[in-house]
Amino acid sequence: MRQKPVYKLMIVLVLVAMLMAACAPKTTTTGGDEDPLVAAAKAEGQLTVIALPHDWCNYGEAIEVFKAKYGLTVNELNPDAGSGDEIEAIKANKESKGPQAPDVIDVGYGFGPQLIEEGLVMPYKVSTWDSIPADTKNADGYWYGDYYGVMAFEVNSDIVTNVPQDWADLLKPEYKGQVALAGDPRVSAQAQMSVYGAALASGGTLDDVTAGLEFFKQLNDVGNFVPLVAKQATVAKGETPIIMRWDYNALADKAALAGNPNIEVVIPKTGVIAGVYIQAISAYAPHPNAAKLWMEFLYSDEGQLLWLKGGCHPIRYNDMADRNAIPADLADALPAAELYANTVFPSIDQINAAKALIAEKWMETVGADVK
Amino acid sequence: MSNKPLPGLTPTENTKRDAPQARPAKSVVSKWLGVLPFFLFIFIFVVLPSISLFIGSFQDSKGNFTFKNLVDLVKPEYANAYWVTIRISLVTAVAGGILGFMMAYAVTLGGLPRWVRSILSTFSGVASNFAGVPLAFAFVATLGRTGMVTVILKALGVNLYDSGFSLYSFWGLSLTYMYFQFPLMVLIITPALDGLRKEWREAAENLGANSFQYWTKVALPILMPSILGCMVLLFGNSFGAYATALSLTGGFINLITVVIGSQIKGDVLHNVNLGYAMAFGMVLVMSLTMVIYYFLRRRSERWLRQ
Amino acid sequence: MKWSKLWSWLWIVLGGLYFILPLVATFEFSLRAKKDQLSFLAYQRLFADPQFFQTFLFSVLMGLLTIVISILLIVPTAYWIRLKLPKVRVVVEFISMLPFVIPAIVLVFGMIRVFSGPPFYLTDTYTGNTVLLVGGYVVLALPYTYRAIDTGLSAIDVRSLTEAAQSLGAGWGTILFKIIFPNLRVAILSGSFLTFAIVMGEFTLASFLVGIKAFGPYMSLIGQNKTYESSSLAIISFALTWAAIWVMQLLNRGQSERQLTGGR
Repeated sequence: MRQKPVYKLMIVLVLVAMLMAACAPKTTTTGGDEDPLVAAAKAEGQLTVIALPHDWCNYGEAIEVFKAKYGLTVNELNPDAGSGDEIEAIKANKESKGPQAPDVIDVGYGFGPQLIEEGLVMPYKVSTWDSIPADTKNADGYWYGDYYGVMAFEVNSDIVTNVPQDWADLLKPEYKGQVALAGDPRVSAQAQMSVYGAALASGGTLDDVTAGLEFFKQLNDVGNFVPLVAKQATVAKGETPIIMRWDYNALADKAALAGNPNIEVVIPKTGVIAGVYIQAISAYAPHPNAAKLWMEFLYSDEGQLLWLKGGCHPIRYNDMADRNAIPADLADALPAAELYANTVFPSIDQINAAKALIAEKWMETVGADVK
Repeated sequence: MSNKPLPGLTPTENTKRDAPQARPAKSVVSKWLGVLPFFLFIFIFVVLPSISLFIGSFQDSKGNFTFKNLVDLVKPEYANAYWVTIRISLVTAVAGGILGFMMAYAVTLGGLPRWVRSILSTFSGVASNFAGVPLAFAFVATLGRTGMVTVILKALGVNLYDSGFSLYSFWGLSLTYMYFQFPLMVLIITPALDGLRKEWREAAENLGANSFQYWTKVALPILMPSILGCMVLLFGNSFGAYATALSLTGGFINLITVVIGSQIKGDVLHNVNLGYAMAFGMVLVMSLTMVIYYFLRRRSERWLRQ
Repeated sequence: MKWSKLWSWLWIVLGGLYFILPLVATFEFSLRAKKDQLSFLAYQRLFADPQFFQTFLFSVLMGLLTIVISILLIVPTAYWIRLKLPKVRVVVEFISMLPFVIPAIVLVFGMIRVFSGPPFYLTDTYTGNTVLLVGGYVVLALPYTYRAIDTGLSAIDVRSLTEAAQSLGAGWGTILFKIIFPNLRVAILSGSFLTFAIVMGEFTLASFLVGIKAFGPYMSLIGQNKTYESSSLAIISFALTWAAIWVMQLLNRGQSERQLTGGR
């Protein structure tokens, strides 16, 4: 009957699929005349990372350079993951040594204590440990700051000719229907920190973020707020020509769009809030040596400069600046240092309290009253 | 040659009318053997992974047993989230069902050329899963403030946003959901429409029925169980939708899937157990929907049992 | 007669517009990679990326595997239930709806937990993860495939067909593969289309099990960083999925789209 050729084709395709799936990547090993950590990592052959978008602090290039330098395979899980996802991924993979278990994570500053409390990470001090500022790392080496950025405005200057310079400017009627957040404040750290920044600019304090919620309520009431989750595409389209983003993401967008359209990155005059992220090695990492090698790479001057290239302030920035280790062209590509003079760094407790309040109160303060 | 049964026999599901088996009853074991692979698969791939869901609903973050999560569910903001999600699912299930049905009818019984049907079913297959970020952006590009249609209408003198329309609202989200709802309806209801025999229409016309009577007394009653089944599918499809809603109206419209997402995967210190409890609540809502569906379907099948 | 044709065309045109306009808008945007002029630059950049083809092929294969397993699992089950165990139908229908309300993220982490340890040890290799992925996809596609098959079964007289076949001496295998499957052709095709589209676009399961090797996570990666490429990617994935489904339809050409027991 006529169905048989179809079923035959299906069976052939199934077999081909299984063949392809069974072909695991080969690992490369070299001679033993090198750093024992490098040798051990190469013996493991692979590293599994999670939540690393390629344009976030130039992770794309960092991964490629790492792969080329050491010949390891890098499994990239879920580039869209939030910090919560990364933690859940470690927990779910406790008993697995497979390629879907993350070796290393890059999460928000506020998650440090939880990582230790729940036994999710193993301690490791990179060789450049001492040049990491003390208040951005755990003394025992369980987690350590990797980079920071400040909350900035990303503006499509082809559409918005009078570029806003501060939070209060956003409330002006000329920006009707143009301002958006880059995430859902119940879910996304970037959006929550935007609210935090608005709070600082509107009379709030690091301990009380209510003013930020009020700001967005007002933004919505005057009709300037667009409740869409903004991305590079919506800014370019002109649907959300003004958004609040980490400065490094805004700079990455500016580079990617390359003038089509023109993007201006504005550090607000007041309410300059910093967001620190931290690195850690999973306590259940299937490839601990590869993980350690990755950390050594990231915290070397080379790795830190790759992050700088992506617009992030690497955590060892001050140390490297003192030693003149930063090339002039990279330093110039960032917004001027004076703009960062008023940067505020909230503590872990302040961050977590603020985020909890925002996530809880957002819907009732700002959300649509849908009957 | 083909085994066409005699016209006049109703082939649709009619479990009560089943004749007793001609052969002696086989043992109970062999009866259940036929469904063993399915239940085994479900146990391994659905029940086992979901156990953490159900157990987690009744635990707190330290693992102790508690009812607090379920009690929290009736807090106004969460109860409201359920209600909004149910509303949007109902709206898009009914509207999508109707539009899908009319289109499926048009290509099966509406006398259109075969190539239209072919294109429609292919298109439906692709569109029924065009969701999430690409769909949200596609609608932004069409009906957003700077969207193509908005701009065209503005040129024609009609200002959508001034007259109160907004894509970023309940109705805007419903409109976006419809994009994957009605293709789904088209795909699934088409075989049922194929099963409507020409002979029945002819018989009805011979007895003096007009088109309207044919539809209300013959065709729709036969199709109703399938239509209901499809609408429940559409309801569930919409109820569980997450990515599209998050992209389009994230932070603004209170949908339960987004709330669950914020508990389980958000960047704030999350309460995973509450998230599990909310998902458990979704299972309960879905169960209730299925109960209503069965009630409606048995009523619609009743006429077949006379 | 004329009137009903007009009516049909009206609905098709309405539905067609609804389908096409968002696609046209996306396409128009994807042509804007070069400032102030229309060009295919975004598409060129995309096709130059080897990862695009790799991830697409990977997901196509996953889709085909999922379809085969789903059909082989569900058609005999649905048929058997209609024939012998009508009371169980309620239970199975409920089960088929469960994937809607179990969030994909719960499913994937649950699966990883369950299959990491003994006795399965499935997560230790790429192959094992792929097996898990296909299993997860079958679960995700379950509501659609079951509903499609069930609707198809409701339009044919299962009992009479079976009894006729049995009286001619056919065994269960023959009945299933030579009678039931051909009669469910349209329903199986619908289910296959839906499954294929689901697998191509699926993100959560793939992103935690195989990462950016699959098409869904790849689309998300591009979507975050590259504006015009992400629009062109949406159009391309739409077009390629369409092409794959069209091929599936072609493979069944020769047989008419009617079922053997009626239709027009």
